[in-house]
Amino acid sequence: MAGRDPRPDGPVIRMTGVSKSYRRGGQDLQILEGMDLEVAAGEFLALMGPSGSGKSTILNLIGGLDTADAGRIEVAGTDVGALRGDALSAWRARHVCFVFQAFNLLPVLTALENVELPLMLTPLSRKQRREQALFALEIVGLSDRADHRPKQLSGGQEQRVAIARAMAMDPTVLLCDEPTGDLDRSSAEQVLGILQELGRTNRTTVVMVTHDQRASDRATRTLHLDKGVLVAQGAPGSEAR
Amino acid sequence: MTLQGLTVRHLLQHPVRSLLTVLALMVGIFLFCFLTSIVTSLEAAVKAVAANRIVVGSAVSLFQSLPTTAQYIDGIGETPGVESVTRFTWFGGLYPGKDAPEPQFGCDPQALLSSYPEVQLDPAQARAWMEDKRGCIIGRLVAQSKGLKVGDQVPLRGTIYPRVDGGPWTFTVCGIYASTKPNVDEQTMYFHWSYMDETLERGEAFGPRGTSVYLVRLGDGVRGEDVSAAIDARFERGPQRTRTQTEAAFQAGFISMLGNLPTFLGLIGGAVLVALVFGVINTMTLAARERTRTMGILKALGFPDRVPARLYVGEALMLVALGSGLGLALAWVTQEPFRLAFGTFIPQYFVSADTFVLASLLSVGMAVLAGMVPALAARRLKAVEALRT
Repeated sequence: MAGRDPRPDGPVIRMTGVSKSYRRGGQDLQILEGMDLEVAAGEFLALMGPSGSGKSTILNLIGGLDTADAGRIEVAGTDVGALRGDALSAWRARHVCFVFQAFNLLPVLTALENVELPLMLTPLSRKQRREQALFALEIVGLSDRADHRPKQLSGGQEQRVAIARAMAMDPTVLLCDEPTGDLDRSSAEQVLGILQELGRTNRTTVVMVTHDQRASDRATRTLHLDKGVLVAQGAPGSEAR
Repeated sequence: MTLQGLTVRHLLQHPVRSLLTVLALMVGIFLFCFLTSIVTSLEAAVKAVAANRIVVGSAVSLFQSLPTTAQYIDGIGETPGVESVTRFTWFGGLYPGKDAPEPQFGCDPQALLSSYPEVQLDPAQARAWMEDKRGCIIGRLVAQSKGLKVGDQVPLRGTIYPRVDGGPWTFTVCGIYASTKPNVDEQTMYFHWSYMDETLERGEAFGPRGTSVYLVRLGDGVRGEDVSAAIDARFERGPQRTRTQTEAAFQAGFISMLGNLPTFLGLIGGAVLVALVFGVINTMTLAARERTRTMGILKALGFPDRVPARLYVGEALMLVALGSGLGLALAWVTQEPFRLAFGTFIPQYFVSADTFVLASLLSVGMAVLAGMVPALAARRLKAVEALRT
């Protein structure tokens, strides 16, 4: 997989006093308030909570897609809030990958090309990129669908291609926003199995937003949010406290 | 997978829309080249005329014949600075099956060929023409369009000079000429003025006597304006007053008959380009709207902000290169058919290298402008917002 970075022993993600609000319809909506969070390398963390509780905002802040109003976010030893422009893009390409509920594959590219796409940001040759992308597709069991366009794949297959795209980059942190939200049970189980395996074998830190209790059961830790505040946390399978 | 490859895929995502835009560009650029070339071809015809030739016509009207008496021929020929004189009369005959006259002129062959070195004729064919009173020479395009070759008989029905028996005039093709400059077309037939005049004299045909104009070649270093003034002064008291002008002024006079046509054509060409710019911007804006999420994905994957912007500019460049390239190619291949269609209206229609360069530069500018509109928006686009669309 692309340029593996050594996984630190301490927390890979450290959020300290993070606040975030959005202005909607002339009103300021406080999404996160003084959030503190630490996630260790190889941890599979599930974020649960009602809609609007700030789960996706946490993912966007960790991935540098959005900026916090206050507080500090450190990912893989880098203060994400201090990065701007190309430096932020380069950091994101190196450390973070996203898996979305809507899969977000490029419709004009084949499965293989979609997986290969972010590898263009690495120094790999064209041949190496192709080999790596094929390998990632093999891991998610889709090497026979390499030449298929997204619309020729089922939802579960699309999501596995999206995971392969992330795996090919071997990110320090994988941020998953409702990765099983649009999938049937069997596809969801496949996807969750792959995510679980990533943490175990690659020590990739996985942060997953989900509404699905069965999905959170696969996580090593589950956090519950409400109105931007952590209200409970627990081990897999435990009830929220 | 490369970014160029991705650009091509985006271009092919909506093949019908891309095709229509390419066709619009093709037609627009072709039209721009065509309209510009009409103006430049007319100007080139004026610029290409030799400085040592003047035209003597009637002061009353171009349609009024001048006498061909010794007083005129010798009078003009004896004017200081004059080297040679040829009578030059519009015949206006109809080729078989045609109902519109095409350019044929009665002239003095020797003087014509010596005055117009841009008329290229095989010396053997030139000699044959001199010796055959009924002989003629025809332009390369006449031979091509009418399937004529040396030795063929050309029957022409007279419109200004009909024959008394109602039959056609018959000429023998002695040679086929080519032209080396845009002021001389290749769609004209030249024949012996004396053959026509003698036929009229014998009463076998009727029509106005005299000559439309005299074409005069001047000696080296002689100022055309001075000789023109001297000739006009000589015939100041008649019997037919003359208006003598340089060949350039004579050609320019034809263009001025078109009024403000060159300006008008230029304005239309400019308007076509402006419409094209709006069309391409529209296509690119539509594409950008549909691809907001794609750009968000690219940014989320770690592609720098400039990459989505480059994709749009690249796509616009490809689109315009394709459409404009086809338009330029069309302008190139239609030169010959247009030359035939325009006849002597534009003696040598051609698309100049300057026009190709100008159209290419304008195309590049158009592509950059059309690509920059969505590119700037894509650069500012926040990934998190784009992914929500």
